[in-house]
Amino acid sequence: MKLYAAVLIALSAVAPAAAGVYGDDRGARPAALEPCDALYDKGDRVQARACYSGLLESSDLALRAEAWWGLDNFKQANDVFREALKVHPDNADLRVRWGYLFEQTYNPEEAVQLFKEALGIDEDNVPAQLGVAMVMAKRFDPKSKASVEEVIAKREDLILGHLLIARLALEDHELEVAEEHLQSALQKVEADGRSPLETYSLLTALDLLREIPVSQSEWTARALAYNPVYGQIYSDVAHFYVITRRYREAIEMYEQAVEVDPQLYSAHADLGVNLLRENRDKEAYAHLEIAFKGDPFSAKTVNTLRLVDSFDNFKLYSNKDDLLSRGEEAVRAAIDTPHVILRLHEKEAELLRPYAMALSEKAAVSFSKKYNFKPTRPIYVELYPDHDDFAVRTMGMPGVGLLGVTFGYLVAMDSPSSRGPGEFHWGTTLWHEMAHVFTLEATNHLVPRWYSEGISMYEEWEARPNWGERIMPDFIDAFTEDKLLPVATLDRGFMRPTYENQVVVSYFQAGLICQMIDRQWGADKLLRLLEAFAKDTPTAEAIQQVLEIAPEEFDKRLLVYIKELLGPLAEKQGLQHWRAEMKQAVAAAREEKWDDVVAPATRAKELYPDFTQSGNPYVMLAEVHEKKGERNAAIGELLGYFQRGGREPDELKKLAGWLDEAGRREEATAVLDELLYVWPADEELHADLGDWMLADNLNQEALREFNVLLSMNPHDKAATYFRLAETYHKMNDSQRARRNLLMSLEIAPTYKPAQRLLLEIAR
Amino acid sequence: MDAEKTMGRYLKRIGIFVLALSAMPAAAATHFVVVGGLGGERDYAERFAQEAEDLAETATGTVGAEQVALLKGAGATRQALEQTLTDLVAAAKAEDAVVVYLIGHGSFDGKDYKFNIPGPDITAARLAQLLDNIPAERQLVVNMTSCSGAMLETSMQKDGRIIITATKNGRERNATVFSRYWTTAFEDAEADVDKDESITVQEAYDYAVGKVDTFYKSAQRLATEHARMEGPGPETFLLARLGKNAALALDPELAPLFKRREELRMSIDALKLRRDAMDEDSYFDELQTILLQLATVDIQIENAQGNPDEGTTPQQ
Repeated sequence: MKLYAAVLIALSAVAPAAAGVYGDDRGARPAALEPCDALYDKGDRVQARACYSGLLESSDLALRAEAWWGLDNFKQANDVFREALKVHPDNADLRVRWGYLFEQTYNPEEAVQLFKEALGIDEDNVPAQLGVAMVMAKRFDPKSKASVEEVIAKREDLILGHLLIARLALEDHELEVAEEHLQSALQKVEADGRSPLETYSLLTALDLLREIPVSQSEWTARALAYNPVYGQIYSDVAHFYVITRRYREAIEMYEQAVEVDPQLYSAHADLGVNLLRENRDKEAYAHLEIAFKGDPFSAKTVNTLRLVDSFDNFKLYSNKDDLLSRGEEAVRAAIDTPHVILRLHEKEAELLRPYAMALSEKAAVSFSKKYNFKPTRPIYVELYPDHDDFAVRTMGMPGVGLLGVTFGYLVAMDSPSSRGPGEFHWGTTLWHEMAHVFTLEATNHLVPRWYSEGISMYEEWEARPNWGERIMPDFIDAFTEDKLLPVATLDRGFMRPTYENQVVVSYFQAGLICQMIDRQWGADKLLRLLEAFAKDTPTAEAIQQVLEIAPEEFDKRLLVYIKELLGPLAEKQGLQHWRAEMKQAVAAAREEKWDDVVAPATRAKELYPDFTQSGNPYVMLAEVHEKKGERNAAIGELLGYFQRGGREPDELKKLAGWLDEAGRREEATAVLDELLYVWPADEELHADLGDWMLADNLNQEALREFNVLLSMNPHDKAATYFRLAETYHKMNDSQRARRNLLMSLEIAPTYKPAQRLLLEIAR
Repeated sequence: MDAEKTMGRYLKRIGIFVLALSAMPAAAATHFVVVGGLGGERDYAERFAQEAEDLAETATGTVGAEQVALLKGAGATRQALEQTLTDLVAAAKAEDAVVVYLIGHGSFDGKDYKFNIPGPDITAARLAQLLDNIPAERQLVVNMTSCSGAMLETSMQKDGRIIITATKNGRERNATVFSRYWTTAFEDAEADVDKDESITVQEAYDYAVGKVDTFYKSAQRLATEHARMEGPGPETFLLARLGKNAALALDPELAPLFKRREELRMSIDALKLRRDAMDEDSYFDELQTILLQLATVDIQIENAQGNPDEGTTPQQ
């Protein structure tokens, strides 16, 4: 997964409707529901429905709302809860139960609001406190564990609390902690004669993490003996596969879940989402449709169905298309080239296709060789111009702040047009994600998260000197404050961050680990580590085995490596010094005292050369030099900015123009070429780049640029056709040259350069 | 090929042919009135004045200084504008064209649009009244100010008058960038879509609209202006001649060559209209034949001056 966002994978499938299994753990409920709940828990759906239906005529609004809920009629339940609250506005329990309804029906914001309202009436309301904690846990909020523990401290017998802590512990692979809480929960449910189903689910998951297959876990058998249609147990277990990116195993679990309980619509939805991750679109759609029919209120289902419908607006391109027409050499090369399929939105397909295809293929060839893995299926690469579509594709819900996600043979990412100019470098993001394809598939998805991310970060830096994310101040702060995690537990930095931006910090740490291994042990050790992870070797053991160093020693060595890398920034006050210099430079620039900008900006640049974000010293110094008529010095600063990963399109275009004016065409072309991977939706960029390439006899490259320009429906079509005609003419393709020339002159019959070329061709 | 578009270009050919002739002495004339209004802030004031100057210079290059009135800075008062437009009542004939450019800020109070100039502002209604008095049947008003769209909600429209506004209505109140790109349309070869070294109203409008759109997208800002154009024949309304053709077209000795040139261009347009009924190869063969003749005529025109025009290349 690419940087910048908290991981928002849904924690688990929702609990079955109106469980009532924990008595008042999820809030007080009318006693009249108990016989209905008991039937439901035992899997007697028909009788349970009859039982709940019998309560619909009750004058007790709370009971009626619960009965509708039991019948899976969430809309009616919602309406009756609202009505009930009008009658009993000060009833905290009603708000809690209504909150849990929202929580179950995928609306955590409303749920939390109601829990908080309940706490406003009754600050000691434990189910409300637990509700808030539950929502936090599902959002992977680092404070969720402490919140649950706080609630349990007040009521040790709270089964749901123990189950929540157990779930969090299982996610963190703290199996003993999980077991302890599960045993507490089990004793309590057995003693109270309450439903053990959710406890069995987590015990099955515990077995799974101890490598006891679900089919062989005693808890699976016990759960199905208790309730023969309890498909939820498979769904719960699938969650632990999903969060470790083992989607194929998760699919098997969801398939079993819906086989046991065909009415488990949440499992159909999750099955659909995960089948899509495996590029099994038709099967996915079928399950999503079932999910929608059974539960039309699931935003995840609705969004995903809409997305799949929108695939009609996308075009598919394969790198094996038109192979025969590309000649024998292309056919021979294709034999060993991994199969790449692009899915691009039709409105930008022709714009992105040449670059995205070439880059994806190059990445696939490079990583296949380096990581000794030949893909066994086509690699799908999808670029979404609408960020919310990408978010739905990856998480089923909009609003996720990631840039790209890889599910194995599927890469989904934002296209450059989904964000503003220069907001991200889509080329380096695609490279990052393509590396994941290989680390995931080479290990059958057993690679730990930190290593997969680390390799991807490292490969970005290796791809081009100015690719990849630059070390951010957050990372420097974490380093100087000794917040980096030991390599053995680095995965926690991704899964359950304990401080703001720890996920980002963990990305950098993981990347630097891989870089250090390459520099100090050699790149082959990266492959050896990957092979160890393919055998499910734990991180600490793998480090010891492959690098022959104790993990603790490795951690110390990493700190030395980073310290050297950061130079003066590694000191406690390093960032403060840099900030002070920056402040001084900015203040001088604001007052237009240009001579006073140079010294502090230069010092800031030397202290922190990788800082190329907005307000960086390179651009500041370039401006100063330009104002003073020192063009060469200005070029030097912007070149420094470019080489350190600066990617603001206006600055790079300015640099390219200056370089061209200075007769440094090759460097100018390189700068514009880089811009293709930042903000390609720029007609001028393709026109200039194509013209320069053509002038330098890079005819094929120029042709690519002019074809892309034409696909953008440029204002000046006559000039574009003429450019194409000139290029074909240079390539001695007289037929295409003539046709493009005539198309140019058809628009602009007196276009002089085109007229001259026509006369030349006609001669 | 879209028949409607082809017809549009065909009409443009005829129009430009007429205007090319009309540029000669004693024929129809085009009168330009360029007004740079109040800027409020120094940056705006400088920008508006510069744009007004640039537009006046372009107009001068096309029709001569005597047919261009430039009002800017302290001189752009209502009285001066009223006088300038009143002068045109006598100066402009029915077959002439009048072009009015308004650059600056505008305001709209829900009822009246006002163009902000030193001293009392001028309303859209008053402008309409003044323009209605001018006998020229072809008129163009390009109002590039904020709130300018309000002008289309008043009674500015008239047969033969094209009105272009930078905003879609009076509620788009932010300062506009439309004038910047309307001005550069006469400097950027990209705007001359058919490369005939002349810019029509349609070409300038399309260019400016495209650039405004790109401006807001690149700046990641919500567009606060949406230009509109109403009125007949923008594709035939010539605004500027670029390059040496402007001078060449005025040479009576070259009239036969220009006449032949326009005949060939009209043949091309006629061929385009028949395109759907032809197979592609035949179409392009025939097109090439005419284009070669046209290229030959253009060379003759250039040679007649003894100094071939290098033309506009895409690299420029």
